[in-house]
Amino acid sequence: MSSIAGVSHAVPPPIPTTAGRPADGVGKPAEKILVRNLNFYYGNNKALKSINVPLYDRKVTAFIGPSGCGKSTLLRILNRIYSLYPHQWAEGDVLLDGANILDPGQDLNLLRARVGMVFQKPTPFPMSIYENIAFGIRLFENLSRAEIEERVQSALRRAAIWDEVKDKLQANGLSLSGGQQQRLCIARTVALKPEVILLDEPCSALDPISTAKIEELIDELKDDYTIAIVTHNMQQAARVSDYTAFMYLGELIEFDTTSKMFTTPADRRTQDYITGRFG
Amino acid sequence: MMTEHTIKAFDTDLQELARMIAEMGGLAERQIGDALDALNRHEAALARSVIATDARIDALQREIEERAILTIARRQPMAVDLRDIVGALRVSNDLERIGDLAKNIAKRVEVVENELSLQKVMRGVEHMTELVLTQIKDVLDAYARRDVGKAVQVWRSDEEVDAVNNSLFRELLTYMMEDPRNISVCIHLLFCAKNIERMGDHATNIAETVFNIVTGDYLRDDRPKADATSTTPVPTLPQGK
Repeated sequence: MSSIAGVSHAVPPPIPTTAGRPADGVGKPAEKILVRNLNFYYGNNKALKSINVPLYDRKVTAFIGPSGCGKSTLLRILNRIYSLYPHQWAEGDVLLDGANILDPGQDLNLLRARVGMVFQKPTPFPMSIYENIAFGIRLFENLSRAEIEERVQSALRRAAIWDEVKDKLQANGLSLSGGQQQRLCIARTVALKPEVILLDEPCSALDPISTAKIEELIDELKDDYTIAIVTHNMQQAARVSDYTAFMYLGELIEFDTTSKMFTTPADRRTQDYITGRFG
Repeated sequence: MMTEHTIKAFDTDLQELARMIAEMGGLAERQIGDALDALNRHEAALARSVIATDARIDALQREIEERAILTIARRQPMAVDLRDIVGALRVSNDLERIGDLAKNIAKRVEVVENELSLQKVMRGVEHMTELVLTQIKDVLDAYARRDVGKAVQVWRSDEEVDAVNNSLFRELLTYMMEDPRNISVCIHLLFCAKNIERMGDHATNIAETVFNIVTGDYLRDDRPKADATSTTPVPTLPQGK
């Protein structure tokens, strides 16, 4: 390109910016879960309004937004936990590998084995550490004692808690610290070899060191699992996720790569929320 | 304008950073004017005062850096807030450099012999300084108002400074060839012109920072440039002169 030095332009030329440059990497990963036109009702209250969002395969997607925006509700639909409660229903599509899990014929136990969930408060069963893991495996699979032992050990290793509990596997799960209990719950989820892991504010009851351990764990788990995490901690979302969805008043306001969402979000409401200017 | 943060102290932090940049900018502008006056009128006292005042600009830069780091640590800013703070760091760096360049000019005042009739060249240097001062004023204004249009205008106008610098360069070359006794003063003025031209470059840097703070994008680095001094051949003197 030749530039004409010293010539003043009557009409200023367009501002040359780096906007619209192609995103890093090539193409988008496959969609493990695809939410399409999803509405959700608690009785007469419409809690989610035509949500469209993908969960990309072996990526971490964070859901952020103020309390009551519907992010936990959305997570509870992805493994149909909501079906346990009366007067709650969903319309639309939630495709897991292309098949709609909202289908009345969906086997819920099988679904929850494929889509595991970890809650805000650690919920170990009141039984031994070993049994906390083995219990679920026995429900779904008929394995020998040795095979179960191996699976328990690998799940505890995977959840980065093995070194802390290997000498006290018969101790009660409730005797562990909060952070250890949460990792035990993640181990329990991992033991069933799910494909998707849903984390609903998994660190909100934990101290910073336990939080760091869980975040490190998420980073390792995403090599094998598709992960969705709901968090109120914006920095945590920025740290652990590849994609971020911002929800507000039951609507999905913006979904993009985490790097874009936390640096140059497109929607004013997203920017106001992540910079602490809301309301 | 932006709505306020829920945490009002965060707004205060950002406003304080902007205020310090404004103070630094005002100081830098004054330094340039004073350095040129000192050069023009050969006032050694004024030159010394410019050299001494540079420490205040350096101190302000450190204060801005400390406050910016503290704000990042305490507020963990995101998006536009983060660009705002990083932008303040970059702008303060550019202003600090501009201050140094003004100091460099002031340092030459005592060694530049002014008895030569180089008034015509001095007019050129003054004209260039006026252009650059306008650029700096405009870009600081663009920064204070987060005015992208004005920032882009400054970014484009640097070409004019380069053009004046080129003609000044040729002129000084001619004087040096005419009479070797002019060489010393012309070399000093060449450096002064280069320093002023550099200030213009820092003004365009600030314009790029303002653009980034507001839009989150970057101005591509193919701004119109016309500095030809590094490629202008120096004619050889006729032998035996």
